[in-house]
Amino acid sequence: MIRHVIDDLYQIGEHVETEHGLEAILTYVILNDGNPLLIDCGSHIHRDSVMAQLTELLGEGIPEFLFLTHSELPHAGNIAAITEKWPDIKVIVSNVMLPYIEVLPVLPLEQITQVVPGTKIEMSGRTIEFVDALLKDQPGSHWVHDSRTGALFTGDGFGYMDTAEGSQSVVDGSDAGSAGDVSQAAFEAYHKIAFRFLRWIKPERIAADLRKMFAKRNVQVIAPIHGNAITVNIDKHLDSLIGALTAVNKSYRK
Amino acid sequence: MTPQDTLQEAKIFGDGLGRVAVRAITPNIFWLTHCLGVLAQDYYKEYFAVLPNAADYAGDRIVDYPFSAFLIVDEKSLLIDTCGPKQKEAFLDAVQFCLDGRQLDYIWISHVELPHAGNTGALKQIWPSSQVVTVAGGENYELHGLENALTAAPSDVIDLGEHSVEMVDALFVDHGLSQWLFERKTGMMFTADWAHNLHEPAKCHCFKFLDEMFEAGYDAKTHVEDIKVNAWYQFPWLAWCDADILCEAIDDLFDQYDVKILAPSHGNPIRKDFKQFIPALRDGMRMAAEMPFSHVL
Repeated sequence: MIRHVIDDLYQIGEHVETEHGLEAILTYVILNDGNPLLIDCGSHIHRDSVMAQLTELLGEGIPEFLFLTHSELPHAGNIAAITEKWPDIKVIVSNVMLPYIEVLPVLPLEQITQVVPGTKIEMSGRTIEFVDALLKDQPGSHWVHDSRTGALFTGDGFGYMDTAEGSQSVVDGSDAGSAGDVSQAAFEAYHKIAFRFLRWIKPERIAADLRKMFAKRNVQVIAPIHGNAITVNIDKHLDSLIGALTAVNKSYRK
Repeated sequence: MTPQDTLQEAKIFGDGLGRVAVRAITPNIFWLTHCLGVLAQDYYKEYFAVLPNAADYAGDRIVDYPFSAFLIVDEKSLLIDTCGPKQKEAFLDAVQFCLDGRQLDYIWISHVELPHAGNTGALKQIWPSSQVVTVAGGENYELHGLENALTAAPSDVIDLGEHSVEMVDALFVDHGLSQWLFERKTGMMFTADWAHNLHEPAKCHCFKFLDEMFEAGYDAKTHVEDIKVNAWYQFPWLAWCDADILCEAIDDLFDQYDVKILAPSHGNPIRKDFKQFIPALRDGMRMAAEMPFSHVL
């Protein structure tokens, strides 16, 4: 389903059922004054739906870049369909990825560019910045920040399990959907599955790095792939996420 | 050439980015591995460039990094991981060579990344009755091309005949839903993304076991350094860890399991005198946790 997030940012995709609730599998689309940008491209099991939503949203627009937060199938599963429809699209991945073996071999390797954290791309009055993914399940992952919308695309980080009602809306403070907030418990359910390394960490250390990342840039939207975009109460959601990481860590101490 | 002949030398299928080699670790357990060989210098220069000591890995010493699967052939056969789609043709040939006309019964997946699970569909096409096995925990595996997978948890066992495999709690992981595997007859521990060295194509290290590499000039100091560097890359969460706790976990693991063979996904298997390498695994992990991490925040 196509949902407007903020300004020229949209999310598309589907939810799937898991033991712990509904998990979103999203693609974000920045219309970018006629030069659209895609962040991830969804699951192959939603191929027809994702391509139909992209076509409806973009019309005759041709996406210039596909930014992959990482290359697992729920994030890059439609790369064959994307490159078939828009063969000139440029794919941007982390420098720690090995595209020849970690990306489905459906496009020339020359079409994939690796960027180091800190790389910035200026386009149409906005700055796209690639930063380290602090929560990742694949070494070749990065997060992406868009200066115009203030969106931080966090890949697997900030994912959460949703309810049928909550899945219907971005988290925008309205009474609909998630009633304005994602709970710590919803973050915890997702992060316990996704990031088993949390058993080993000192929570206060990762918390400090997350807070630094948010303090350094204008974050108006948290845009996870596995949860609808969050456009309100950013500081509160960061606190909830840190609370969830701490709770997951403590669960291994019992 | 028979599958058992690969105890002595590799049989290589395909070439370049798609090549896969077979070595027998024991007469019934095979290492199926892809690495780049002479192409490594083109593909790993940027990869290792962010290391604090990048020149040690992308200067005079050009290193390579295998992507491996393992196959146990008994009354039942079990494949550990699948290599990646880029290696599909050579990998399928290699599996068929090792099976030597037998059926593939289990496709056991350590975690869902493409280099570990990316040929599951192709294997199922050849052996449609094979059972995919992966880790329990709540994932929707259809998303990863592993629909209808049987899920297993630590301490679950699959009997294959003389061999049997036990699911092991994967200590050090990138993907949250990961598992390790212990084969009880031979004492082979599969550790997926942990505990791997690097090798040098220029020194003919490709497709060698670690003891063969030592005979070809590899040394203990380099081994520890390689384990450190790989852990630093593979597990950036080490930035937030206490190294002592990690080392205790390593000691507990090898107290619990009588490991005789170490089979990591991305290193050269240790088939002899494993216990002498435990300090190197522990030290490498400690050193990785104590390295600087330059996260761009």
